[in-house]
Amino acid sequence: MLLSKLLGLRVIDAGQHPVGTVIDVRLTIAGDPEHNPPTPSVLGLVISPRTRSSFLGYERSDADAPVILAALLRWRHRGTFVAAWEDVARVGSDLVRLRPGYTRFSPVLRDVD
Amino acid sequence: MTELPVIHHRGQLVDARLHLLDRQLLDDEDSPAGIVDDLVLSGVELDKDIPEGTEAPQLTSLLSGHVVATRIFGGGPPRSRLQGIPRSLVDSIHVVVKLKPTDMVFDAGWMERWLCDRVIKHIPGGRHAAE
Repeated sequence: MLLSKLLGLRVIDAGQHPVGTVIDVRLTIAGDPEHNPPTPSVLGLVISPRTRSSFLGYERSDADAPVILAALLRWRHRGTFVAAWEDVARVGSDLVRLRPGYTRFSPVLRDVD
Repeated sequence: MTELPVIHHRGQLVDARLHLLDRQLLDDEDSPAGIVDDLVLSGVELDKDIPEGTEAPQLTSLLSGHVVATRIFGGGPPRSRLQGIPRSLVDSIHVVVKLKPTDMVFDAGWMERWLCDRVIKHIPGGRHAAE
């Protein structure tokens, strides 16, 4: 599947309620991306309830400068979350359905573990 | 935003659109080889339920091609107009995406060559532009 077909899809929960739009796909690389990276795998979908795209990724970082721009973009993208791939029940041609009881994870990019 | 739990993962995180799309592709000699225009994810079947415990999809290749027109006028180029670059050819992902040595031919400079042959060289002195 092409990434471009996934971006912009509407997302609904198990009760058919709209929860947002796929604005990005989060990948995890079990190694150093800068030195012969192994195959990235999908960790989850970044979903925004208010926008259909993202700009500069302020809502996914701790960056706070320039202050006005950071505040404005964070407000614009408030509510953005990551749904783990395990919580994705179906990917359709026009929408994505999440499993019952899915978890909303923080969209902030952190390299841990 | 900060109250949400952090997803458990191993390794480094990369957001496909934020960190990969539109990045410059360089070959092993640091020459431009194209732009990352799209990505291919394996293991996603459209309009089919995903059984619990299914392995997560993987990034299998990068796609590069001529997308200027479709970006301006909308839509997307057919898959046949995009050149697939296997993930195994990726040497590093940073500000640019660098590729390993390969025999693959990249046609990133066709636009420059076309402009050179059809326009620039007809301008007086244009044949010496590179000098």
